[in-house]
Amino acid sequence: MNFFSFHLMPWPYLAPPRRFLAEHEAAWVTLSNEEYDPVRGRELYERYLGELVMAEELGLDGVVVNEHHQNAYGLMPSPNLMAAALTQRTERVRICVLGNALPLYNPPTRVAEEMAMLDVLSGGRLIAGLVVGGGPEYYSYNVDPTEARPRFREAVELVLQAWTRPGPFAFDGEYYQLPYVNPWPRPLQQPHPPVWIPGLGSPSTISYCAERGFGYMGVAYYAPPETFARQAVAYHQAVAAAGRPYDPELLGWLTTVYVAESDEQAVEEAAPHLAYFQGTLAAGFVGVGKVWMPPGYIDPPALVQFLSDLRSMVGGARPSDPKQAVWHRSPLIGSAATVRERLLAYVSELRIGTVLALLQFGSLPAALTAKSARLYAEEVVPYVREAAEKHFASLPTGSPGPGS
Amino acid sequence: MTKIEPRVDGRAAGEVTARTIEVAAGPSAVAVLRVGAGRPLLYLHGLCDVHSAWPGSEPTPFVAGLAERFDVAAPALPGYSGGAPVSALHDMEDYVFHLTDLLGGLGWEQVDVVGHSLGGWLAAELALRRPERVARLALLSPLGLHVAGVEVPPVFGALAPRGIGGFGESRRLLFADAEGEAALRVLPDGMAEADQLRWFTGLAGAARLGWKAPHFQSRRLAERLHRITVPTLLVVGEQDVLVPETAARAWVEGLAAADLFEVPDAGHCLTLEWPEGASEVAAYLWR
Repeated sequence: MNFFSFHLMPWPYLAPPRRFLAEHEAAWVTLSNEEYDPVRGRELYERYLGELVMAEELGLDGVVVNEHHQNAYGLMPSPNLMAAALTQRTERVRICVLGNALPLYNPPTRVAEEMAMLDVLSGGRLIAGLVVGGGPEYYSYNVDPTEARPRFREAVELVLQAWTRPGPFAFDGEYYQLPYVNPWPRPLQQPHPPVWIPGLGSPSTISYCAERGFGYMGVAYYAPPETFARQAVAYHQAVAAAGRPYDPELLGWLTTVYVAESDEQAVEEAAPHLAYFQGTLAAGFVGVGKVWMPPGYIDPPALVQFLSDLRSMVGGARPSDPKQAVWHRSPLIGSAATVRERLLAYVSELRIGTVLALLQFGSLPAALTAKSARLYAEEVVPYVREAAEKHFASLPTGSPGPGS
Repeated sequence: MTKIEPRVDGRAAGEVTARTIEVAAGPSAVAVLRVGAGRPLLYLHGLCDVHSAWPGSEPTPFVAGLAERFDVAAPALPGYSGGAPVSALHDMEDYVFHLTDLLGGLGWEQVDVVGHSLGGWLAAELALRRPERVARLALLSPLGLHVAGVEVPPVFGALAPRGIGGFGESRRLLFADAEGEAALRVLPDGMAEADQLRWFTGLAGAARLGWKAPHFQSRRLAERLHRITVPTLLVVGEQDVLVPETAARAWVEGLAAADLFEVPDAGHCLTLEWPEGASEVAAYLWR
């Protein structure tokens, strides 16, 4: 069982959703970088890095950084720089870069090089996340979205070969032709660091991960937990179809977590910051405003479905009870007892072996982040870890997951 | 596939009937709207009037207008519903091969070509690379030409969907009257899901050409324009933000033999906001 602390390093100084959306179409692509204040930015980096380092002190298993460009949602255009800093400030935890957006690197051997550096620097602690990149990034980098998926798949092959094939060799692909592939250094972990791929539920991504033995990390910040449950079941089925033994740790759940002294207090403390995260920062790909989803990036039927789901999610009636309103999309906000019970239920039922907890989200301030992280690490994680590992051990090895 | 014999007997008498047939274009089968009689004319649709090429649909009034004097074939462009898949089309050269394959499938040696918007770019590139196949040319708010110093809004940014609030920004980009009948017919705020699917499918097809060359602007076309020597009519809407007047003038100056016609109160989707213009275009091609 893996418990990771995931950070987006968001910009917390924009207006709350309603006021923000009255003036801006999105927090991505076109939100002017004049909103960014480097002096405050410097303090934020220091604080956010500290929050990741704290995960090691609290006994969690790993830290996660990720890549986004030209937005207020996540201030890590180069997550590898943050991961490099973390190699120097931590000793034990796994460091997961989730991930590098391969089509944005030309050639993507750059990713093979930097990740090998991180693996060597960290003493073999890297988990290599590889990702297509978000829709907004295709606008920001003007990369052709109509070939995003095949280009990504080819880039994955290139990176894996760069790590495992003795160089120099020639790579002759549809998108990349390189006469000399021979990166120094090579990764410390052999044959290569674990590969994880984040996804929003695309069936082709899920089956790709299952077939290749990559971890599938379902991004579930916005949708109700049932949405992630469907992805998990699809992953179980895909692993069974691929004829592979089921390894729970290759199924990850990216979700917001906030723990406080009581359910009421947790909801009250978290709600405005969660609203800022889901309403202000996510405006641009999830929300009422502009959806930076470029043509051809996902199949048109999937896009129409996505927009339809989005409209029912943001336009639908919200429960009037504040707790139910929060729990509808974010069930792991509550007292330690509530979060413990719910997390164990999801983890056992869906055979999730990796929980990537977003312990800081939106504008959640440092003191509340630290308080919640400590409660989570001390009162939730040990209990769920022990119970879940016992549960997984009781299942026959390689048994298909529930629902298959 | 229904084999259609080209007719060269001038005007058609009687009413216009349209049908959509499948035509072989090399390895692909393409849905082609056939309507009218007379001299053969290839109509290449734009970003907005794609429903003229949807299987089973009626021609737009503009295409119906052309069909009063021409034997019109209006294919679905690659990537659009009914069009060839774009997976094997990598650049403009492939698109021109595709169009010549299509002319072969139609059994047409030489035709008049009317291209609008995206189709205008394709028509110009066809005339540039296969001059022997094109008799006369009409380019209606053609995309494709990069003119240094002329800024256009980021097309795909403006066309990005919205969570709630419909297609107002897309209409403002493409039409002079964003709340007019023509705009709301193509891009209504509460667009039915089947129509959304067609619209986004078409945009993905258009992005194949229009994304890498940002804003559908080739950096090579300007220096090659003089190689198009057929008589060319260029028509632009005065409110077209994607092909502003400076761009229209650059087209005319670059082309060897061109006439410019400007339409007041029309935006980029010229054929929808100026359906009566079909007779002017037809008259130019006949003269």
